[in-house]
Amino acid sequence: MTGSEPSAADVKVCCATAYQQDAVALILGESYHPGGLALTRGLATALDLRAGERVLDVASGPGATAFLLASEFGVEVDGVDLGDQAVEKANALAAERGLAEQVRFHLGDAERIPLPDASVDAVVCECAFCTFPDKPTAAAEMARVLKPGGRVGITDVALDPARLDAELQSLAGWVACMADARPVAEYVALLDAAGLRVTRTEPHDDALAEMITQIDGRLRAFRMAKVAALENVDFDTALDRVASADRAVRDGIAGYSLLVAEKA
Amino acid sequence: MTITNPPRQKVDRDEVFLEYTKSICPVCKTVIDAEVNVKDNRVFMRKRCKEHGKFEALLYGDAQMYFDSMKFNKPGTIPLETQTEVVDGCPLDCGLCPDHKQHACLGIIEVNTNCNLDCPICFADSGHQPDGFSLTMEQCSTALDAFVRSEGEPEVVMYSGGEPTIHPRILDFIQLAMDKGVKTVNLNTNGIKLAHDRKFVEKLASFDRRPNIYMQFDGFNERTHTEIRGRDLRKAKQAALDHCAEFGLTVTLVAAVEQGLNDHELGDIVRFGVQHPAVRSVAFQPVTHSGRHLEFDPMERLTNAEIVHGLADQVPEWFRVSDFFPVPCCFPTCRSITYLLIDGENVVPIPRLIKIEDYLDYVSNRVMPDLDIRQALEKLWSATATPGTEMTQEQLECAVCGIDLPEALKTVTDTAFMIVIQDFQDPYTLNVKQLMKCCVEEITPDGRLIPFCAYNSVGYREEVREQLSGVSVPTIVPNAADLQPVLLTTRYGSKTLERDGNGHTPANATNVGQALR
Repeated sequence: MTGSEPSAADVKVCCATAYQQDAVALILGESYHPGGLALTRGLATALDLRAGERVLDVASGPGATAFLLASEFGVEVDGVDLGDQAVEKANALAAERGLAEQVRFHLGDAERIPLPDASVDAVVCECAFCTFPDKPTAAAEMARVLKPGGRVGITDVALDPARLDAELQSLAGWVACMADARPVAEYVALLDAAGLRVTRTEPHDDALAEMITQIDGRLRAFRMAKVAALENVDFDTALDRVASADRAVRDGIAGYSLLVAEKA
Repeated sequence: MTITNPPRQKVDRDEVFLEYTKSICPVCKTVIDAEVNVKDNRVFMRKRCKEHGKFEALLYGDAQMYFDSMKFNKPGTIPLETQTEVVDGCPLDCGLCPDHKQHACLGIIEVNTNCNLDCPICFADSGHQPDGFSLTMEQCSTALDAFVRSEGEPEVVMYSGGEPTIHPRILDFIQLAMDKGVKTVNLNTNGIKLAHDRKFVEKLASFDRRPNIYMQFDGFNERTHTEIRGRDLRKAKQAALDHCAEFGLTVTLVAAVEQGLNDHELGDIVRFGVQHPAVRSVAFQPVTHSGRHLEFDPMERLTNAEIVHGLADQVPEWFRVSDFFPVPCCFPTCRSITYLLIDGENVVPIPRLIKIEDYLDYVSNRVMPDLDIRQALEKLWSATATPGTEMTQEQLECAVCGIDLPEALKTVTDTAFMIVIQDFQDPYTLNVKQLMKCCVEEITPDGRLIPFCAYNSVGYREEVREQLSGVSVPTIVPNAADLQPVLLTTRYGSKTLERDGNGHTPANATNVGQALR
């Protein structure tokens, strides 16, 4: 990770790498995104997923979303992630859970999705769209792989960069995902420009506040327990970052949103 | 030309009707109907006695919190034995009767009425009194046996009073409880004996399973001490705590909190407790307006909600309102708990590390939680949890390591710190709905297990004292502002009704046992 102004490619690789590290896994715990599996369930319900449908999960990470959609909603899922270890682990986990027939993970880039045109009924993307440096291309790719009438469901950090704390604007570990987040209206416009008409937006700011609280608690507990995997972590700086993220949420500068869009 | 009146407009009520339940008249203790309403985000009870009129009281100071707590309601456990039959219905058949919804997590035995203090606030109406009682070994044994028959292996017995440390047989009583298989003994004390008799503390510490000291500790201001205890006990409290630390006894600081008196000292009490080597938990109890107490306004009393908000306001660096969770074994509005991991400079509330509602939400959970973790959390969020005891330490370890946290965190559970908030019901706030699931019982020497709030509010305390002391005891009435004109002071300092001669009380005013036609 670099300290100064990062390039677009840096952000993308850094995020994918960071999410694969044990330290990040430790700090974030089981729920890698605000709202956890409950919000994933809410997203699936908002998308009206039906058994047998084919779903693409962009930035599928360790696969928790894909497994939930497959087991609770009976859909087939293709996950795409930029981290090779994450993909490998997720495929192994799919086999372990007996879901290998229903769920597959592929190494790939959100800006060049390795699936054919008009091949999926729905796309989900949780807490990842904001990290994509070339958002118009990522949106266009989602539109390309969707069948006509297909749906997109996104949950993501929404914020006003102009009002954001200077320290949060810099690329820094797991708060990186906030660095290139946009206001909800801009997400709507980005999707619209790709031919994806937004039909629903829901605020879930409490989920973000809760996750920040949890991260703060975990950092403090790890510092107390002197966890070996985190011996190089600068806890004071990390806790300061968490505190400013928390302030941003409480001041209404940062929030978390659920968006559903349809391909015309 | 005729003048037409404007059409009469219907008007909405300024409150939301929430529950219909039973309660008692705070004056004559007759069972009456009661309704629970929400107004301005606060929860109130309203009821009417045919004889004594209308009463209204605050039940819970945050309606949202009240609603949110409902899902933390665990199905009750049926005790091995009940002691009474259902005859007149709740709350007149205590107890426990077969209709009771929960077993007894905690049994209280009041060993005497005598005390070395005469506190202005005392729900037991105790003091330097010549006409009280002092349990014999045989009576204590009968009480313990009833508890054992009901529970099998009882988790916790609390010896209370009066002042149990001045009972000449208290050490034998502790041994007796241990011998009968009680896992943990709590000794409820004002600390005076522990401050002045170091040898006594040493003897307490010599039991194989050391009792936990449940010590009154209301704050640091002189006024707090004089108003609640009638004496400045600050030096005695410090000495008692230091003696406990010296001999390795664990202590729960128990603060009776009264509005406008010591409700600004919540944060200081927790900070002090976290620093003191003997203290492993703090219990905050809004002053129970049963027995003897200062004059109060039932509409502006303290409830669990005010204590939770007060802690979040006074110690914002440690607490948020969302760190506290209701205890699911009793009715969830009765008691809230949180645990802290502490190591001198760092403090982390455990609910920030575990999603408590994933395990303790018994109503709306869709996914079956890990049962080991649920069981551990159930023990921690219960009336039996006592930090420092082997059982509670095991549950803490399980709760913390069972989730996705590294092994290293196990070591910090050794110093986990508990905060309990419990609002006991009084004759104004008594709600049969909550009472029926009470898990804190007074064990009487005639072998009954009477829910604590029924014991204090319905008249059982007066009945039992009369039986044991052989001296007539008047019905105690709350020292409420609106009752002042009809109150008389009893010889114990509590209040009773100024009788108009015949002592007439109305018949049971609840609409049971009658039909329209």
